[in-house]
Amino acid sequence: MTGSTLGARAPRLTLRRRRQLAGALFALPAVGLVVGLIAVPIGQAIYYSFTQWDGLTSTWVGPSTWSQAFHNPNLWTALENNAWLLLAVPFALGLPLLIAMLLHQRVIGWKIFRSIYFLPTAISWVVLGLVAERFFAFQGTLNSLIHFVGLGHVSTNMLGYESTALSALGITFVFTMIGTNTMLFLTGLATLDTSLEEAARIDGAGRWRIFRHITLPHLSRFIQLAFVMTVIALFSALFSLIFVMTGGGPGYATTTMEFLIYQTGFAQGDFGTAALYGLILFVLTAIVGIVQLRLIGSDE
Amino acid sequence: MAEITFSGVTKVFAGNVTAVDNLDLHVADGEFMVLVGPSGCGKTTALRMLAGLEEISSGTLSIGGRVVNHVLPKDRDVAMVFQNYALYPHMTVAQNMGFALKIRGESKAEVERKVREAATILHLGDYLDRRPRALSGGQRQRVAMGRAIVRSPQAFLMDEPLSNLDAQLRVEMRVEIARIQRLLGVATVYVTHDQIEAMTMGDRVAVMRGGQLQQVAPPQVLYDHPANEFVAGFMGSPPMNLLRVRTSRSQGRVGLTVGAQRLDVPAAYGATHDLSRDEGAEVVLGVRPEDIEVVGGGVGGPTLTTRVERREALGAEILVHLSVADSGAASSVAYDEDLAVSRPTTLVARMAPQARVEVGDVLTVRLNEERLHFFDADGGVTLRRERP
Repeated sequence: MTGSTLGARAPRLTLRRRRQLAGALFALPAVGLVVGLIAVPIGQAIYYSFTQWDGLTSTWVGPSTWSQAFHNPNLWTALENNAWLLLAVPFALGLPLLIAMLLHQRVIGWKIFRSIYFLPTAISWVVLGLVAERFFAFQGTLNSLIHFVGLGHVSTNMLGYESTALSALGITFVFTMIGTNTMLFLTGLATLDTSLEEAARIDGAGRWRIFRHITLPHLSRFIQLAFVMTVIALFSALFSLIFVMTGGGPGYATTTMEFLIYQTGFAQGDFGTAALYGLILFVLTAIVGIVQLRLIGSDE
Repeated sequence: MAEITFSGVTKVFAGNVTAVDNLDLHVADGEFMVLVGPSGCGKTTALRMLAGLEEISSGTLSIGGRVVNHVLPKDRDVAMVFQNYALYPHMTVAQNMGFALKIRGESKAEVERKVREAATILHLGDYLDRRPRALSGGQRQRVAMGRAIVRSPQAFLMDEPLSNLDAQLRVEMRVEIARIQRLLGVATVYVTHDQIEAMTMGDRVAVMRGGQLQQVAPPQVLYDHPANEFVAGFMGSPPMNLLRVRTSRSQGRVGLTVGAQRLDVPAAYGATHDLSRDEGAEVVLGVRPEDIEVVGGGVGGPTLTTRVERREALGAEILVHLSVADSGAASSVAYDEDLAVSRPTTLVARMAPQARVEVGDVLTVRLNEERLHFFDADGGVTLRRERP
């Protein structure tokens, strides 16, 4: 009678089905967080971009915010500034790569140098901004140095001119990224199998060829990661530097998309337009991220 | 192709650790030299000095008559096969094999031809476009070999190239590497800790311990005439039995006592070996497991009464562990740390699987009187007068 008893029981879930359920259950908290913290705010931003919103009450105005925004020259200036700042990215990657290569050679005092290079990462960007402001000021460290080497006639207040302020900001940004990226590359170098380098040495490769054919391909994933992180930081973490160093000026010379969002929302009280700018910045960052992921994917 | 000479080569690492101590070794052109020894014996350091990956502290190292002490690895014209193969992960098999040629500036067509040629020898033709991670362990090993042979170097250096393979593949590749080496006739220095590889592959084998060279000889000579207890214990599996015995002479014959038992040894050993010791002096008697046979009582020659302690059936043979009755007093030292040799109180005998031997049996065994070895009890050096 055992058979009939078994047959009478409710059909049990298959193992496969149970695993799927368990998987979904475990993923639920993470999905909840992503939806609550990312998807909902994005949805809200899209909604507010069609409203006139002062932070308390919102009035539906339809797509007019959009057409007005795209006719605002400040938006295009900010986008242009963001584009120009992208020129800092090669330096924000190249310098740390060079430093990491040197530290990896275990030069004398490499541990001290490692701490020094990592220091900017441990310091608030507000403090770094203040230091940079003093550095670039007319009577600041940079000009003192220029005077010291006898080139006083070229000394200038970099932060005071539209033509140079963005460069000063870019240089400061490179400086702030050195620590993080150097650490990232050092980690990458530490995972490089030393026997590969030895094999290449025996195969006849000199330093440059070893770097070009062995080290660089090994580091490519780390470089791609650093690239994404740097670009995201450039688009969405410069606020404190700009706020402290230039306040977005002179004029709009150092106003980036991120700073424009702040100015539009908090200084002008136009949260609807600010939400739209936020969306534009999100799309730009997402494009960079997707392109980068594609590049990483193409390697596999 | 070239010969390799180590003259008094020493390597001292930071902290005053001597990894290789005054190594003198000559590898003839086309010779397959195996460096063998336990972990930390200095064999890999010796190889890395030859490759140029480690600096030499003192001594002279030459390849093809040219002193290479300060020559960069890339200028030594040697090829190395690493233990983990060290294949460039982002390159295809063909690119891995052709890398050195490309650096040398050879034309694309020439590189391709040489890579194809090597791939044919190594049966890698179908895998040239694959990346290393898409290959099995054996195939990776072959690619590492291929990378070495396309260059037609003056010497091959191999650092335990088979240790990451499974047992069966190791046997196959052992034969394969030996075949390729003979085919190309390039001087080869092959490092291993596996004495079976050493015995089967090398034209000559150099046994190292604690940074010092113990003996260099063709494998069979090493096996038959070990220069010291260490070599005797290291070469052969199971290793040579080493028993502490005492000399006792009577009527001009060489006599030995193992505990209370007396062992008669042919008088000829008195001539070939330095056994002229004081009555009761300790020496070490060595006998290979295959040189022990079970005999009935009352048989002449060197016989011992033993008791079967353990029996290991290996299919083709059985290993019988025998305790020598009443030998406790003579074998107080089971392991000599200075000499890094075990002198167990039991003998291991290799017997045919048909042998009817059970644990607890008391057996009279005879040692092959033509194949006995004697070593100094203090220094472990062979007491043979004429060294092979």
